[in-house]
Amino acid sequence: MSIVLLSINHHTAPVEVREQLAFSEAELPTALRAMIAREVIQEGLILSTCNRVEVIAEAADANQLRDFVYELKRLPLNCFNHHLVQLTDAEAIQHTFRVASSLDSMIVGEPQILGQVKEAFQIAQNAGAVGHTLTRLMNRAFAVAKKVRNETGIAANAVSISYVAVELARKVFDSLAGTTVLLLGAGEMAELAAKHFITNGAEKLLIVNRTFENAQALAAEMNGEAVSFETLDSRLAEADIVLCSTGAAHYLVSPSHIEHALEQRRYRPIFLIDISVPRNIDPAISELDNAFVFDIDDLEAVATANLQERQREAERAEIIVAAEAERFAASLAEGNLNKVIGVLRREVQQIALDELERSRKRLGALTPEQEDALHVMLNSIVNKFTHPIIKQMRESEDGHSPYLEAFREFYHQEKE
Amino acid sequence: MNVLLIAALLLYLSSAIYAIITLAMEQSRARIGQWLRGLVAVGFVVHTISLALGWIQWGHFPVVNLKEVCSFLAWAIAAYYLLFVPRDKARALPIFVLLCGFLLTLVSLLLPNEPLSLTLSSAISASPFTKIIFPLHVTMLVFSYAAFVVTVAGSVMYLVQERELKAKRFGAAFRWMPALNTCDELSYRSLTIGFVLLTLGMVTGMMWGSQHDGRFWHNDPKEVLALVTWFVYLAMIHYRVTAGWRGRRVAWMAIGGFVAVLITFIGARAMGGYHVFG
Repeated sequence: MSIVLLSINHHTAPVEVREQLAFSEAELPTALRAMIAREVIQEGLILSTCNRVEVIAEAADANQLRDFVYELKRLPLNCFNHHLVQLTDAEAIQHTFRVASSLDSMIVGEPQILGQVKEAFQIAQNAGAVGHTLTRLMNRAFAVAKKVRNETGIAANAVSISYVAVELARKVFDSLAGTTVLLLGAGEMAELAAKHFITNGAEKLLIVNRTFENAQALAAEMNGEAVSFETLDSRLAEADIVLCSTGAAHYLVSPSHIEHALEQRRYRPIFLIDISVPRNIDPAISELDNAFVFDIDDLEAVATANLQERQREAERAEIIVAAEAERFAASLAEGNLNKVIGVLRREVQQIALDELERSRKRLGALTPEQEDALHVMLNSIVNKFTHPIIKQMRESEDGHSPYLEAFREFYHQEKE
Repeated sequence: MNVLLIAALLLYLSSAIYAIITLAMEQSRARIGQWLRGLVAVGFVVHTISLALGWIQWGHFPVVNLKEVCSFLAWAIAAYYLLFVPRDKARALPIFVLLCGFLLTLVSLLLPNEPLSLTLSSAISASPFTKIIFPLHVTMLVFSYAAFVVTVAGSVMYLVQERELKAKRFGAAFRWMPALNTCDELSYRSLTIGFVLLTLGMVTGMMWGSQHDGRFWHNDPKEVLALVTWFVYLAMIHYRVTAGWRGRRVAWMAIGGFVAVLITFIGARAMGGYHVFG
């Protein structure tokens, strides 16, 4: 048995293919149970997100796992073989670690993947599909992901526009707790940014739209307050953060608006993000003290720079992951080896003891000294016999010595 | 006593170096801040012992010459840092403050130890009242200077961060400077604390003067400059409270105020007069 992994992801396959192999959360328990019901599969785990499907198993070989997945999804055998990546042991371990550490993600370092991996593990646990090996593997993967996060900067800087906006605002307000966000217009990006501000601690959301009904609808959805466009001027002073994305062809917020607002705010800083094209916030506002204006290009420039920074950090993370994967593979092999050696010694010892019992009659009564001497002798024979074999097994570099394989095969056949 | 002071000096230096090398680290700022505080705290304790021993050895409150005042000011800065500088949000700010503490300690170590002049000695110990009021006068003023050092550090960082934001340059300076609000709040708080201490320091000085020779005002250059400084800071607080002045304008004023402090502290010494020390 080895760790085998089947992966189909955004690097290897377009969404049309990925979706055919994807598992919904409801499907997973049944699929997992079907998986371990197979004789050739001992443990299994399935991670299915919009960017990837990863099937990890403790199984005899990867081809059988692959055929099982096709069968489960009722697909013709081998239909997506060229989109599928099959990995075993060390490579499978490394891939698992890379996925959990968000090194294989579309946006390297994005934080959601670790949560998704944890959830997949939880589901597999609940379905009773993971045992000793995969539990060890996944716990190690979580630890590696944490280490990568702590020791490299792959998740340090924002790479999406709305996160960048939050990051910039933090350089003005430090904490967003207690701030008021004014959302002007109903552009999707601004709406997303507003959500990010709220999840990062902003307290109050004002929504302004030329069509008041739209503002009301959005306010109901986002738990904000709808404000009519006519009162914008008077309400502007309440906003610490203004997010703007409308279809207007001209500036909606002018320096004089902001000057007035600042005066009312007693010059507490105001932070404006303009995601609309053409722009709706006059960039001349930037010349006012305590007013900060950023447009879509500024945000994108930050995002691009941060992404490059992340890629540099990702290279460092790869080194950590590779080293950890190697260590884990080695400890797994070591564990297997020790198990085999234990079985070998016990078997031979048992043979020796059985022979002793069989000869008891002919030996007659033994003094305790003689009894001891016999045991010492048998032990010594067992040791002398097994020693060169164990030595050979241990000397093999990756735990795959011909002796080991031979013994395993022999032993398994014997048992059956 | 010098050995302890050198130990404190090295601890301040290593904490400044620690702050510099951890500056670029984005993760676990709070833990870095804790370690930094720990280092400064050890330096501060060593420094405190050094000051206490000096007091015992010389038999007077150890702030009667420039050497002692520099050391005392460095100590006050460390104390202020431990009390008021936030541990995880200050980013580059501790570097500035800790280097100030380090430099002042270094200057103190390099300056010769001028003996306490007889006139000053008799003035301090003229009566039980002056014996108490003199250390109070000096301590308040030195602590107000320490607060103003933090004010000016916050103001400089504010100006740098503000310039980066307005120029839309998101490089190292942008990442390493604290947020504008943090700078502003820290500056303003230090400013108020410094102002209160400055006022109390001046009042106790006047009380001591009137005890000493019956005059509470001597038209001494230091007194005049201190009054000017006091008015600068008063104006800043006044406009902050009444007109909500903040940000860039106030940061520049804080730097102006600090220049006045420096002139009061060092310049007045060159001009001679009634205040001969510090």
